[in-house]
Formats: sequence, structure tokens, C-alpha cells
Amino acid sequence: MNERGSRRPWRRAAAALAALLATLLVTAATGCGAAPEPADGRPTGHTLTMWTRAATEAQTRRFIDAYNALGRNSVELRVIPNDTYQQQIATAAGGDNLPDILGSDVVYVQKFIEQGLLADITGRIDALDFADALVPAHLEVATAAGARHAVPHALDLSVLFYNRVLYERAGLDPDRPPRSLTEMAEHAARIQRLGGEVSGAYLAGQCQGCLLFTLWPSVWAGGGEVLSPDGTSAHLDAPEMAGVFAAYRGMAEAGVLAEGSRRESGATWITAFQTGNIGVAPMSSTFLGRIEEGERLRIGVAPIPGADGGASTFVGGDVVGITSTSRHPEAAWDFISWTLGEEAQLSVLAANSDVPARTDLADAPRVRANERLRTMSELVPLGRTPRAVEFGATFNDPQGPWLTLAHNAVFGPDLAAALAANDPLVDASLAR
Amino acid sequence: MSLPPASAAATPPASRRAGRRRRILVRITATGRHTTLLALAVLFLAPLLWTAWASVRGPRAAGGAEGVGLDNYRRLAEYGAGLPQYTANSLVVSLLTVAGTLTAATLGGYAAARFRFPGRDLLFLVTLGILMVPYPTLLVPLYVLLGRLGLENSHLGLALVLTMFQLPFALFMMRNAFDGVPRDLDEAALIDGCGPVRTLVRVLIPVVVPAMVTVGLFAFLASWNEFIAPLMLLSDDSLLTLPTALAAMRSSSHGAIDFGALQAGVIVSAVPCTALFLLLQRHYVRGFTSGALKG
Amino acid sequence: MPPTASPALFPAPPETARSRPSPRPGAGRRAREARTGIVLSLPLAAVVAVLFVVPVGLAGWMSLHDWPLLGAPAFSGGRNYALAVQDRLFVEAVVFTLKYTAVTTVVLLTLSLGLALLVQRPGRGVGLARTAFFQPAVVGLAVASLLWYVIFSDEAGPLGPLLAALGIGDGTVDWFGTPGAALWSTVLMITWRFAGFYMLVLLTGLQAIPDDVYEAARVDGAGWWRTLRHVTLPLLRPTLALALTLCVTGSLLAFEQFVLLTSGGPDNSTVTVVMTVYRQAFTLLDVGVAAAMSVLVALVLVVGNVVQLSILRERGDRR
Repeated sequence: MNERGSRRPWRRAAAALAALLATLLVTAATGCGAAPEPADGRPTGHTLTMWTRAATEAQTRRFIDAYNALGRNSVELRVIPNDTYQQQIATAAGGDNLPDILGSDVVYVQKFIEQGLLADITGRIDALDFADALVPAHLEVATAAGARHAVPHALDLSVLFYNRVLYERAGLDPDRPPRSLTEMAEHAARIQRLGGEVSGAYLAGQCQGCLLFTLWPSVWAGGGEVLSPDGTSAHLDAPEMAGVFAAYRGMAEAGVLAEGSRRESGATWITAFQTGNIGVAPMSSTFLGRIEEGERLRIGVAPIPGADGGASTFVGGDVVGITSTSRHPEAAWDFISWTLGEEAQLSVLAANSDVPARTDLADAPRVRANERLRTMSELVPLGRTPRAVEFGATFNDPQGPWLTLAHNAVFGPDLAAALAANDPLVDASLAR
Repeated sequence: MSLPPASAAATPPASRRAGRRRRILVRITATGRHTTLLALAVLFLAPLLWTAWASVRGPRAAGGAEGVGLDNYRRLAEYGAGLPQYTANSLVVSLLTVAGTLTAATLGGYAAARFRFPGRDLLFLVTLGILMVPYPTLLVPLYVLLGRLGLENSHLGLALVLTMFQLPFALFMMRNAFDGVPRDLDEAALIDGCGPVRTLVRVLIPVVVPAMVTVGLFAFLASWNEFIAPLMLLSDDSLLTLPTALAAMRSSSHGAIDFGALQAGVIVSAVPCTALFLLLQRHYVRGFTSGALKG
Repeated sequence: MPPTASPALFPAPPETARSRPSPRPGAGRRAREARTGIVLSLPLAAVVAVLFVVPVGLAGWMSLHDWPLLGAPAFSGGRNYALAVQDRLFVEAVVFTLKYTAVTTVVLLTLSLGLALLVQRPGRGVGLARTAFFQPAVVGLAVASLLWYVIFSDEAGPLGPLLAALGIGDGTVDWFGTPGAALWSTVLMITWRFAGFYMLVLLTGLQAIPDDVYEAARVDGAGWWRTLRHVTLPLLRPTLALALTLCVTGSLLAFEQFVLLTSGGPDNSTVTVVMTVYRQAFTLLDVGVAAAMSVLVALVLVVGNVVQLSILRERGDRR
């Protein structure tokens, strides 16, 4: 009794340990060996995994629901919080756990290509009938060394929002939005004079992503460049960029930028405009559906102008590609190419007031019927998407050098000093 | 509901042996002390009380009108995968952590206190070494490792990691608890023919239950409140625990942050811990006075 | 503060081996005892080995390699360490983290000591006051940060209007507008969150001081201040040192409070060391340098802890 009593737990534990080891071995073994894909014909019956960030969950989910209903393959979506998206991709890649299909904020895609996470799909893209119509700004950024690794998935454009109610009250023509930053400053000053709670303009001055999203189009509109073609250095101290900073700086000094601008981290970007107390502000096209109009606020939308004229937009949003570790690339492409088809673009994107990822659909009746959607779609060809491997670390990260530069360029004591002190840090970060 | 004295040896009131003059003085200072205590208590409680009040008040909470309502909680409940889901996730992770910690620490503490075996002191020292290594050093390799074990993005993997972080304290507590039990008790059982496991279950565990409650309480609070480990180890939005889901809610509502729902979330996360603490504070304080603190 | 903030209370393994040899040692019995001991400690050993020992080794290994997300790591010697110490953000973060640690430790421990002295003796309402002071400590640090994020906000926070009602300011306060403001606002939050915790730590030390010591001081005619300086504080030294270790370690590893409250701003003035490690690994996707940074942090902490513990032990011996 005594003997057996002390032995039994030992045996049981040993058995449990053996079972655990066996499980580990099996798990490790199934990691290798790719399932063969059919060489021709449509691949069916696969279960695909896809990751997307929370920001574009709605569009992606609609795509997937419609695709899964076709019964070809089944796509399973994992939604990842915006804040930890890059981190989750990194850790998943480190642990060899990437999904088949990877949605990515378009500005990060160069980094993911450099890290070897996305498969080359040049041949597949070229084989599409409408390859030339895919949003060129996105496609260009998804290209490295002539090879394409992703296609546009969801668009997010920067546009100028203005409050038609305040325009009327200030004696401005609500059908004539500003055509240059100079005009924008004049309009803002007129509106500011209305007094009370009203402010002329608003800027998300403590938000790195918002600042580049809303300021860079003004540089492009004026014919300038922000980044070098290979994305390893920036022209932030060039006259074009400095001119844009100076224009906003002028508004800040004149007191026509709302006080909250200085510390707006993006968290209450919409809220500020929603109050109806802001005259004009560059923001995101995706906000349109989230702002309620009323007696104090009727929204006007216009392209972002350059310092002295012109128009442009930042073509943000997501691209989607097949991971280099996917074991079902054929099936993954079946899904991706389906999302780009006319039917999916119109019934999933346009029907929900999202801008299609194909320029040839700007004239489709479904797009033309929706006035704001039409305005946005027409903006797409004017727009740009910056391309740099180290974009995320340099510009889109609160600890990157861009936020310090841009914030101080507009709100700091001295524009030239802010540029001189931080521009080398930006270049160093880009050239890493 | 008040925090008991941390030490069992209560000090006799100083005023007992003092003279009359002294008593008056004491009364004056006592009034001052009471006022100070009250003011400080209000200061410390105010942020949470204000948050609770603000979470049910105002137009966003009361359907557009001024007044009181639960709309903030309703919006919170509907966010993402839903509040019930996130709460369940937190519960699952916390309970798994408590179970894992109690199992490993009770068996390990029993072994360390009662059996002599090779590697015992090494195991004890290495376990305490967990306290010495900062967690970011561990989390990066841990993710890689959990991926290889097929435990990435899972509550089980997260709970195992949280269990590991709890073990130094838990093992220390449990070993002390077993050391505090007279050996005659289990030796009698062993002589009666019970094996070590039966001795543990029938004789020892009933005696060390208070220590287990303390260990379990610490493990629950720590895992319920943990932020960085789930942030890094869970990638699926629908698996997030409460604190990480709240942080995600804050960032995903970009442009129009929902302060009311955030406050509701803070209250929902804080209430279980507060309740548990008020209920079990004697056991919590034991964690401080178990002798482990005396350096 | 580390996720293990509370358990970090228990640093020192006792020196003496606890179990006595069995009354009738025989070879067979000893072997059986050893076997039982090993089996019983298997779950513990498995968790510690797989989730602690292996990752620690892996971190060291990674720090010596170029570690691409996909593909084979390549040995790179001390290059990651060189890059880590040359990294401007890392160096600035080290400076800031030290400054934050100094400020937090002084503010927090002074206040906690004051609270502990206030509630040291039992009396009417003292238990309730202790509970009130301690209550914030059961709210998670991340949740506490989000709570204060709302309190500090222009839109929903009560502080601006409250100060305006007292005649200070115009209703909005920029709590994070300057580096100093951001630091002190965070320290305010941390003080609220942790003062009760350290009060409880110090209280255990205070209550271990025998009453007759105070009695003797009183007989000697020592006033409140002299009693504190010459009796309480010296006797409280081991507990104070422990609280100091906890507070310093926790503050050096600060993460949640700054990620959620300041995001490191303004102008990267409140970036902590752990934030740079996190950024290096997950924004720059440079796991090798991140591992090197965290190994450096670990070394500093281990050395610091060992020094601290040996000082503690020496003092304990001398007593």
C-alpha cells in the first residue's frame, strides 16, 4: 500500500509528460510540407486565414462574408487592434504563424516586403484584365525591385472638410472652398471673427499620422516632393514643405487654429469638428459617415490645396497580399482577385459609400449616383502614397522623429530651428 | 469593511497611561488627525467615485438628455466582440492562472518543505530568480516559444506565462505555509499508510488553505489587471482581456473617442477586483506579513 | 511597474535548508523520498524551465544575432549591443527613466511613509482610512492610466472646470503640454495608484517595532520629530530599503502609464526604457537589438538587486 501509493503519481506524471512530448513532436512535424495546389482550375475547399487591422474591419468583413457565401473557399478573419498591428505581424512572423492573407496599412507594406513576409504576385496581377485600373498610388508602394507584392484593398483619402453653416455666417460662399492654403488662412480668419466658441481652423497637432496625412498633400499639390524616390531621405527642410508648415504656423500665430489643435492626439479629431465650431480642417474621408450634420453643421468637402494652389490627397488605407509562408497561395489569390472584381467593388465598397480600389469604376452608375463618393473617386488619380521602407518607424510612430519635427514646425518657437534640429534625425531614421 | 491591522500584535493605546493634560492634547491632535484622514481618504477615493458617477451621467449616458442613464455601458457592451466576451476572456485567463499557480506552487511548496531531492535548492533559487529578470526581456522570446508550442494567441498560453510570473511569490508562500505545519501531522498520516499525495490532500491542504487563498487572490488580481503580456501574446481582437480591450477601444475610436464608454469600462474592470479585495482583505494583508517581507 | 509588482515583494530566499532529514534514513527510503519530491515539483519545474529558463537563454542568444523575422539568424557578435548603446532614443530614455524613478521614488515613499505613520495606530476610522488609501492599488495600472486619461482630458475631465471654479486657469489645463507637466501629471497618477500599496508595506515594518521602544523614547522626553528621526526611521530601515527596491525596480520598468497617458510625448521627452525596447522589437522589427537592450536592462537590475539584497542582509546580520 505504502509502496504503491508513492509510485502511482510518478507513473501518472511520466505518462502525462510523454503525452505532452508526443503532442509537441506532432505539432512540430505538421509545420512542414506544403499541400499541393491544383495547377489549373479554381482551387476550392481550402480554409484560408486573413488578418486585418481594426480600422478596416468593416470593409474586410463584408468582402469575406460575400466571398464565403460563394462556397469556393472559406476565409477566416482575425481582427487585430490598430495599436498592436505591426507588433503582431512581427511576432507572428518570428513564430512562423503568419496567416495566408495579410492586410496591411499601405504605408507599412514596403517594410513587410523588405522583411520577406509577402509573396511576389506580379504575374498574377498582370494577368488581371483590369490591372491598369488598380489605384496606381497603392500599387506603386506595393512594388519593390520591379516585383509587386500586394493590391489595393481599402482606401482612406485626406480631404478638406468645411462647415457650410459657418461659411455662410461669415459671409463666405459655401460653394467655393479654399483653393490654396493662403485662401484657407483668409477664410479661417473671417470665420474666427465670428467670435464666441468658433475657431477658424483645426489641425491634429500632436498626432504624427494625422499631420503627415493632412500636410503632405499640400506639398504634392504645389508640385513638391516629400521623400526621395527610393524613400531613404526626406525633403522636409525644402521650400515646399517649409512653405506648408509656414502656412499653418501663420494660422497658429494669428490665433485662428483652435486652441485644442496644439494637443490634439487624434483622439478627439472628429469631436472637435462635430461641435460645429470649426470652420475648416483637413481630415479623413472615412470620417464622413461618422459625423452627424445638423443646424450648426453642414459639411462641405474639397481637395486639399497647396500653399498657392493645386490639389492633391494622401491615398491611405490598406493593401492586401499573400504571405510568403502561405500554403494555399492559389486559393488566397482566388479570394483577393475576387475582391477586385467589378461586382465585389460595387456591391461591397461603393454600396457602402467606400471608394472603389479601381479607377475605372469612377464612372460606374453606382458611384456617380453618390455625390460625395464621386468627388472622392475623382480625387484618387491626383493622390499619392509615400513609399519608404522605414516609413512606420520614422513617420507613423509617436516616438519617431517626424512628430517632434512637425509639431514644433507649426507650434514651436522657431520654424527654421525645428527643421534644422530634426531633419537629420528623419534622414537617419529613413536610411537605417 | 476596513483594512485590519497588518500585525497581529496590536499596540495598546498610547493614551492609556497618560495623564489628564496629555489626554486633552491627544484629543486635539486626534481631531486634527481625523480631519486629515478624512480629507485624504476623500482624495484617494475621489477619482474612482467621480469616474463611476460620470459613467452614468450626462447626455451620452442618458440618451441625449441631461440626467442619469446606462447608455455608456450599453455602448461598451456592444463594442468589438462584446463586453461579455472580453469579461469572459479575463475570467478564463485569471482562473486558469489561479489554477496553474495553485497547482504548481502547492505541489512544489510541499515538495520543497517536506522532501529532500536533488536539484531542490536550485529549483527554488531559479524560481525566485524570475523576480530579477525584467518582463520585456522574457516576452519577446516567450512569443516565439509559444508559437513553436502551438500556444500563441491562446488563453492557455497566456495563463501559463502569467502563472510563471506568479510562481516566486506563490512558491515562497506555500513553502512557508507547509513549513509552519508540524511534521508530526503528516508523518502520522504517512505511517498510517497514506501516500504522499493522499497525505497532502487529506491532511495538509486543509491546514494550508489560508495561504492558498492568499496565493490565489494575488494571482487573480495580477492576471485580471495584466496589460503587457496579453497585449503582446494575444493577437485576436475577440480573445482580448478587459484592460487590453479597453485600450484597443480607445485607439480604434480614432477621432471621436468615447470617454463615457471608456469610463464605464474602467468601472467594469475595477469592480470585481475591489469586491474581491474587500471580501478577502485579511488574506491579502497576510501576503504582506507572511514573513516574506522582512527581508 | 512590472506585472509582478505585488509578488516582487519577496526577494530573498531564506538561507537555511528547511526540511530535516527523515527520522530513519535508509537508502531505499531516501531514494523514494527523492523520487516523490521530484514528481511533486515537476509541474513547477516544467513551467519554470520552459517559460523562464529557456526564454532567458533565448533572449541572450537573440542579442548576439541578426534576427530577421523570417529566415535564418546570423551571428553578429556584440554588434547589437553597440547599436543599442549608440541609439539616441535609448540613451535619452535611460536618462528620463532614471529621472522619473528618482522623482517617483522620493514623492511616493515620502507620502507613503506619511500615510503609514498616520494610520499606524488603531483608532476610530483608521481601518476605513487604510482601506481608502489602499483601494486604488487593486485597480490595474493600465485601467488606472485610462481612468486618469479621462480625468486629464479637456473634453471629459473635471479638473479644468474645478480649477476654474477655484479661480485658477480658464477651464482647460494642458496636463501633458510640456515635458515637466507630462512627467508630474504621470507622477500624480502613479502616486494615487501606489501610495496605499507602499503604505501597507511600510506599515508592516512600523508594526514590527516593539512598543516599549517608543515608551523608552517618551521617557527620555523625545518629541515627535526626534522619535521619528532617531527611533522609527532607523528601525524601519530594512522595510524602507525593501520598499525602495520595489519602487525603484518598478519605476525603472515603467511602461503602461507612459504608453497610455503621454505616448512618450511631448517631443519624446517621456519615453521610458521599456518603451524603446518595445519599439525596437515591434516598430523597427529589430529583435536582435531589442534583445540586447533588454539584456542590458536585466543586467543592471540583477546587479542592482544583488547589491541591494546583500546590503539588506548585512544589516540584518548586524542587528
